Amino acid sequence: MEEKTLTGKLYDIQGFSVQDGPGVRTTAFLKGCPLRCPWCHSPESQAFYPQLSWISMRCQGTELCESRCMKACTKNAIELGETRLDAKTQEPLQMIHVKRDLCDNCGDCAEVCYPNALFISGKDYTVDELCARLLQDRRFYKNSGGGITISGGECLYQPDFVVEVLKRMKAEGIHTAVDTTGYAKWEVVERVLPYTDLFLYDLKHMDSATHKAVVGVPNELILENAKKLAAAGAKMQIRIPVIPQFNNDEDNIRKTAEFCLELGDAVEVVQLLPYHNLGVTKYLRISDKPIAEATPPSDKQMQRLKALMEEVGLPHVTIH
Amino acid sequence: MHEWKPVTDRVARIREKYRNTRPKVDINRYRLVTEFYMNNPQLTGILKRAKNLRNLFENMPVLVNEDEVIVGWQGASYRCCALYPETSFNWFMKELRAGTIPLRQQDPYDIDPEDEKYLLETGDYWDKHSMSAIVDEYMPRYHRDNMIGNGVLFFGKKDNCQSPVGHFVANFWTATQKGFGAIQKEAEDKMAQMEEDGIFGDDIYKYNFYRAISIVSEGIIHWSERYAKECERQAELCQDPARKKELLEMADCLNWIMKNPCRNFHDAVQCIYLYQLSMCMDGQQHGISYGRVDQYLGRYYEQDIANGTITPEYAQEILDLFYLKVAECNKIWSEGATKSGPGYTSGQLMTLGGVDKDGNDATNPVTYMMLQSSGRLVLHDPPQALRIHDGTPDELWEAAIETTKRAGGVPTFESDKVIIEALMKRGIPLEDARNYCLNGCVEPSVGGYEWAQPGGTGTESYLNIANALLLAINNGTNPMRFPGAPEPKRTGPATGYLYEMTSMDQVLEAYKTQVDFFTKWQCTNINAWESMSSFHNPLPMVSATLEGCMENGKDCQCGGAKYNSTGNSCIGLGNVADSLNIIDQVCFKRKIATTRELYDALMANWEGYEELRQIINGKIPRYGNADPEADKYVDFTASTYANGINRATGPRGRFSAGCYPVTANVIFGWFTWATPDGRKCGEPLSDGISNVQGMDKNGPVSFINSVLNFDQSEYGNGTLCNMKFHPTALQGEGGMMKLRSVMQTYFDEGGMELQLNIVSSDTLRDAQKHPENYKDLVVRVAGFSAYFVEVFKDCQDDLIRRTEMSL
Repeated sequence: MEEKTLTGKLYDIQGFSVQDGPGVRTTAFLKGCPLRCPWCHSPESQAFYPQLSWISMRCQGTELCESRCMKACTKNAIELGETRLDAKTQEPLQMIHVKRDLCDNCGDCAEVCYPNALFISGKDYTVDELCARLLQDRRFYKNSGGGITISGGECLYQPDFVVEVLKRMKAEGIHTAVDTTGYAKWEVVERVLPYTDLFLYDLKHMDSATHKAVVGVPNELILENAKKLAAAGAKMQIRIPVIPQFNNDEDNIRKTAEFCLELGDAVEVVQLLPYHNLGVTKYLRISDKPIAEATPPSDKQMQRLKALMEEVGLPHVTIH
Repeated sequence: MHEWKPVTDRVARIREKYRNTRPKVDINRYRLVTEFYMNNPQLTGILKRAKNLRNLFENMPVLVNEDEVIVGWQGASYRCCALYPETSFNWFMKELRAGTIPLRQQDPYDIDPEDEKYLLETGDYWDKHSMSAIVDEYMPRYHRDNMIGNGVLFFGKKDNCQSPVGHFVANFWTATQKGFGAIQKEAEDKMAQMEEDGIFGDDIYKYNFYRAISIVSEGIIHWSERYAKECERQAELCQDPARKKELLEMADCLNWIMKNPCRNFHDAVQCIYLYQLSMCMDGQQHGISYGRVDQYLGRYYEQDIANGTITPEYAQEILDLFYLKVAECNKIWSEGATKSGPGYTSGQLMTLGGVDKDGNDATNPVTYMMLQSSGRLVLHDPPQALRIHDGTPDELWEAAIETTKRAGGVPTFESDKVIIEALMKRGIPLEDARNYCLNGCVEPSVGGYEWAQPGGTGTESYLNIANALLLAINNGTNPMRFPGAPEPKRTGPATGYLYEMTSMDQVLEAYKTQVDFFTKWQCTNINAWESMSSFHNPLPMVSATLEGCMENGKDCQCGGAKYNSTGNSCIGLGNVADSLNIIDQVCFKRKIATTRELYDALMANWEGYEELRQIINGKIPRYGNADPEADKYVDFTASTYANGINRATGPRGRFSAGCYPVTANVIFGWFTWATPDGRKCGEPLSDGISNVQGMDKNGPVSFINSVLNFDQSEYGNGTLCNMKFHPTALQGEGGMMKLRSVMQTYFDEGGMELQLNIVSSDTLRDAQKHPENYKDLVVRVAGFSAYFVEVFKDCQDDLIRRTEMSL
């Protein structure tokens, strides 16, 4: 009985997910993360609770809908905001503004926002519901050597749910991947290990103090878990987001490469993921705080870092 | 790795000329046909058509342009078009008098003032002598008196069937391997035998047929020899020894082919091109397709390479030159019709790949050469269709995907498994079904063996099922109101009004009643057309090779072919599937609005009901997202139409359902009132078997899961599925492999056809703003590709909407 009511909190499910492991995959994105990476391109993945999101491009202006959202809000959390020009008519449209200090993410406004400019990020799924959704795409996994990926946020912060979903998928004969920051208790990692064909494992910085200063947590646990996984025979894809002025210096990349080399055969591939700024505007969907934007690393630089890692002796390094 | 090899200088020169020449109207064909018809009222039926064609063979100008090796043309100047007045001409005269032809926005044509004068003097002759005028007289009474303005069918009171026929594939194996000398002899022998025995019973019809075959066979041989003479003439004047030699070789080829079996690759290419052109010149050049070109040419190529008589580079150059000739082909359409097939396309589809009659992979070197030509020349025409099966080689997949990235949407991908199954369902045995090809846009037929008439009468073959739904909930009356027009009257069965309906079952029943009624009339009217077309417009040039015709002594239009069917297509599948679900959700399940409110909202074109429209657009699950609730009525919609069509028969055999729109979804949308799926009056209908534009929010895999909800093997006349991929989604290692696996899965699970646009909506928007930078940007439009900057604005917008990724 208990198993049936087990739920997980997700902020997205993506089919034809081609960047989260081999083949064509469907990825479940779980909500909530202990890290606060400033470059995170899915800011809605960080909080563990449902959040009200607002996409200005979808909002058709309060004149058209007669401010339905404002009327529906019992917390007085929505006020008139700036205007934007309608792409077609070039007429100004009156936008809204969400007062985040008053909003309790109840979603009443989203209910009545028909163009879905306001919507709640974060929805509870039972194990059955998520498994049914993942199985819907199974015919695409077969031809492509794909499968399912559980990602986040940090999915290992909802371990009971994740273990159950992975167990079911393995029983169906589907390839499973877990995309993780590695920042979780080893006891948790150990629980998903038997049902996980591949770990997509992030390494952000080799220096713990820098790691803590920028993403909010130290790196010892992450590195230790990586070693334990390797020792336990897990398969891993190491993913390194290349962030300007943070971890793209040659010293750090070299040390990262050396660490990967230590992990031995467990590492199938090391991916260098160049920073991109596509997530920047997403921050304004859930808060008033814009995020600093950096210049994406050049192709040339990425090639240089790749060469550097190969020099250290890593056989398979890719960009993207 | 697939690589693009550079083209030769002369190929580059011709391509440049092709892209920079504005098409003009050439009246040589028009003048010859008009004078022939005026001077020979005593001639009728097949003999008239045969002698008319022979007259063209004898008197059309022979044009051999600089740099060309593959020759044959339909007029006196480069990239000109011919006119086909014996089919329909009112539209042309109207536009000519209005002076809009050189000025119109889509596919304008220049006309010489002297030619214009001649056309104005003679053109009205065709008002009473064209096929269209004849068909108008023979339209069934009930339809004529009671059904005009229904909006479901395209048949009207006047000017029906303006662009009929086309969409066939002759037997090019017979043309290349047997030759018309032998065919003529066969016809002559049969006639001699009949004359000796006496001609009794209905043998006289056969006798007339063989007579026509003999005439056109002799004619095409003569035509080829006239080209040979022109090559010889030019050779005599030529200073360049290399070109001189080439011209003499061309003359030798042209003197030989048509009469005799082809000897080599050059012969075979020239033969299929010239034979195809003769059929374009005889019939309407529209969707007349080439069939399995790699299968015709493969043996000659391999033989020549083995003999050392040709180099791969020269063979590729010949193929390039052939492709440029086909690309040059175009025909003028009415301004209205142009909008359903924009971009100067003549739709001469070529098929490649697939299995042979034993089920083995049929790929040969020419298969790759065809993709090489399409890709390296960045041509939207000729369109290509690649047959995919389990044994399709990896290299061929790769070459095809690279080609489709470069020449947007060329080739399309076709599922052997599903299409062969669909053809067997219409009675074709496995061995012949395996030899299928695609016609026009996406319509399968057994090329050279089947008279499938997938284009039927032309535009009239499209059935607007979105309007059938509107009639179902409006008591059989089309709610479309035109300013100044009389109040619309009932044209379909009186199925009641939405506000009288108390359950979803009643809505479904009303819809089915309308579709059954209109499919019945659709097929009835097409049969009325065929009764006249088969008499006035037989096609002996096609029948000369088409399997069965010589044996049966019958023209293809009269049922002479080995296999027979008639195609049809619906438009608006996505709109109807969504509309039915929305009526169910809004009025019955969730009770968001009453049937009266929804009805009133529709009749008001949503004015004053914006809130309801927004709920429908934002809060009700939609087709295209693999949501079982939303996809509930897809199968019902698809099978209601298909059953209505597939049970109908014509004089030659059964009808066959399809779902592909060219860009008629945009045109039909202009004339379709507001629909329950939130669509306003005038907006485009959904495209092919896709969801309503922009409603698929969950990416390609969910989209395919939705589309696979109905049985495509019931759609023997083809389905069309446009898929969009953002270029970034396919980046990185294995991106293309992933794309391929998605397509393979679609085919494994019952999908028939896929065509791809791998371009971002940002790129298309930029191309709208700066067309000068995107002259060679080819995109898939519908059953064909086009240069994006050459299609009309509404169609560009529709493409952008389809390509848009959800926010």
